[in-house]
Amino acid sequence: MSRFDLSGETVDIAALRASLQSSGSGGFCTFEGWVRDSNDGRDVDGLDYEAYDALARAEGERILQEAIARYGVDDVRCVHRVGQLHVGDLAVWIGVAAAHRDEAFRACRYVIDEIKHRLPIWKKEHYLDGDTAWVACTHEHEHARHDSPPAPFTPDYSRQTRLKEVGEAGQAKLGAARVLVIGAGGLGCPVLSYLAGAGVGTLGIIDGDRLEASNLHRQTMYDARDVGAFKARLAAKRIAALNPTVAVQTWTEPLHAGNATEVFAQFDLVVECTDDMGSRYLSNDAALLAGKPLILASVHQYEGQLQVVSARPGASCLRCLWPHEPAPGLAGSCAESGVLGPVPGVLGALQAAEALKILLDIPRQDDGVLLLYNLLDHTSQRLSIDPASGCAAHGGCVEVARRAMARAQNLSLSFNQLDDAIAAGFTLVDVREPREIALEPLDAPSRQCPSSQVGDRLAELAGDRVLLVCASGRRSDYAARVLREKGLGDVHSLAGGVNALNRSA
Amino acid sequence: MITVTLQYFAQLREQAGAGGERLTTTAGSLGDLYDELRARHGFSLPADALKVAVNTQFSDWGRPLCDGDTIVFIPPVAGG
Repeated sequence: MSRFDLSGETVDIAALRASLQSSGSGGFCTFEGWVRDSNDGRDVDGLDYEAYDALARAEGERILQEAIARYGVDDVRCVHRVGQLHVGDLAVWIGVAAAHRDEAFRACRYVIDEIKHRLPIWKKEHYLDGDTAWVACTHEHEHARHDSPPAPFTPDYSRQTRLKEVGEAGQAKLGAARVLVIGAGGLGCPVLSYLAGAGVGTLGIIDGDRLEASNLHRQTMYDARDVGAFKARLAAKRIAALNPTVAVQTWTEPLHAGNATEVFAQFDLVVECTDDMGSRYLSNDAALLAGKPLILASVHQYEGQLQVVSARPGASCLRCLWPHEPAPGLAGSCAESGVLGPVPGVLGALQAAEALKILLDIPRQDDGVLLLYNLLDHTSQRLSIDPASGCAAHGGCVEVARRAMARAQNLSLSFNQLDDAIAAGFTLVDVREPREIALEPLDAPSRQCPSSQVGDRLAELAGDRVLLVCASGRRSDYAARVLREKGLGDVHSLAGGVNALNRSA
Repeated sequence: MITVTLQYFAQLREQAGAGGERLTTTAGSLGDLYDELRARHGFSLPADALKVAVNTQFSDWGRPLCDGDTIVFIPPVAGG
């Protein structure tokens, strides 16, 4: 879809504005250029705009793309009029939607300045005295005082290429490497920063969350003014500033069983940095099925755990240690248990170091260990995992992963709206807590049963086609698994939960 | 009676209110020991949600205790 348009007709401002409305945008800025009644001291009656159509459209599109990349705004539209216009008519309309006003204002200013400067559009002014004159639009351009465009940058990796284990050959390996980082939070910030700084050629970033003020004590890539914006986009912007030679791909929705293996297959290595137990198990299974090494870490208050799943035959995995995902709430989270900011910083730095060692083929210790770090007393333990005692008894890690993935694919279903689920014959069961439901009720008839209680209320749910719904899909996934294990066959979970419904709306 | 050294991680450390302790017990296996500790400290996690290691080696719950063992209970943690 093109964001830029040239139009011979009156501009439909309401439609343009509506096309930019999104629940994630908190600031909207427009600029309108009008035909005025004088220019250079001469009275103007009206004017004709003439454009080199194809070039103007292509260049206009480029300018809008630049504004999005440069200021991280959510979306931009622009229409420039061509043809005959009278005094007071709208000549150009620009609208910018963004998380916050500042980037909306700045992007809007950028677009109008660049359009005036770069678009091949000319105007013929009609003066009241009957005379006419062609005026180049660009002559009005006052050289804009944007942030100066990025100067050509040549990275200097000499401090790492000096290491004999790295060298130019190692640097070339990093430049060709593709690393996927899941979660751009406390662990993800150091991972992304170090990998971008080291010159890893392509970084994928997956994070469905928006930045909150409570993240800032440990998520060091972000600024206070970024609160409310998607972390994946903020991280991409930060990486572009840190090392513009790194290519970045972003996902602002979490992976699910339907796409995780496919996405993993596009990368050489995956670093799991979420605070979500479900994501950790999904990543473990997808890494094994795609045959990609995975670096897991997680933190709790003052301590952390690190595990490398090499995905090689005979190696161990997350399920070798803890075969099943624990119930939500049992594993703790930064929000519930608290965490000292530097703790994920240390564990994330360890993940980055492991990632670089793997990419550079630097000799490493055996992968079959769980590392425990305690930052209160500086103790660490390396606990060897015996692969024979884990998944090996159940067909091996890959087979266990394949079964878990198949179960997960069958369990969660995507719907754009709840009415579609009802039309498909589902009874909706809202498994959120009553206070959450009060804040954001579902816009479709549903029963209510908190996720912790579903196991005790089997009788009420038996016999129906049930779709469980929670905020993110985590609790409903878990509750659906519990119900299936108790014998209910037709129980599903809404993939991505209410958050996904909001995104698709 | 056997005396062992216990180390707690993450939620267990929080719920026990200490990073570890020395304990004299009659528990026959790691599983029995955890049941005893769970009753005493009110640990929320069931044994099957944990890993246990003895003298820095992961172990199964049926292993008998030996005098002087260092036993570590490790829950999965989710923070990031």
